[in-house]
Amino acid sequence: MTDSRSLEYPSTEESIEQMLDDLNVLLDDSHVTAEERNAFLLAVSEAFTNAIVHGNGLKPGKEVKLTLRIKENELSADILDEGQKGLEQIRQRKPSAPMDEGGRGIDLIEHYATAVGYMETDTGGLRVSIRVSRKTETCKENI
Amino acid sequence: MKIKVKDEGQVTVLSLNGRLDLATGAGLKEEIKKLCDKDSTRIHLNLEEVDFINSSGLGALVSVMKQIRLKKGRLTLSNLAPYVREIFDITQLAHVFEIFETEQDAITSPAVVTS
Repeated sequence: MTDSRSLEYPSTEESIEQMLDDLNVLLDDSHVTAEERNAFLLAVSEAFTNAIVHGNGLKPGKEVKLTLRIKENELSADILDEGQKGLEQIRQRKPSAPMDEGGRGIDLIEHYATAVGYMETDTGGLRVSIRVSRKTETCKENI
Repeated sequence: MKIKVKDEGQVTVLSLNGRLDLATGAGLKEEIKKLCDKDSTRIHLNLEEVDFINSSGLGALVSVMKQIRLKKGRLTLSNLAPYVREIFDITQLAHVFEIFETEQDAITSPAVVTS
């Protein structure tokens, strides 16, 4: 069984708080473990913040589209922005230095997600697809 | 995010409650700026009630540390939840910040002198 939601947000800092509230409500109804919740919240928040700030440049007229899917065996999200050259920026990113204030978001996504994919949309924006595997009862029994 | 401020002798303790991310990090930076402007530069952040932090929140903490160091001050952290501590470890920031188990440990700890 899949619980799926599609949401759209203006590119403002307030949308980040709103998205986290919305995602928490969805996860509350899904009996996820604390570990699954933390991993998914963090990975989605990083991609969403990047979309708002770097993709859409905090322009409220531009939207970030978020699709969330809660399945028995995985949590997944697609985050789409309306920016340009996002994929190029991902490819050209450099490791952050200890005293840098930014540049750690992608590393955190890649640490906490089971799988992550980056694609350019038809309009030149960036689509980030995130999957976090769940430890279902069936899986635990097989270990 | 809510921030409670109290004085513990020479140390100003800020207890943070809620999420530390892009939107709320700005409030923390503003609060630290006010303290630095008043020359309160021995600052401790108790993160016990921080239930979410991401790279933007980490960026805010790096920013306030730089601000405090510019004033020759000292920033310490304590009471990190295991999930928050893990994020500091993954990003290697556990080596950059002075992190203590408890607020009291941080307040009574001597400053590390580096050459």
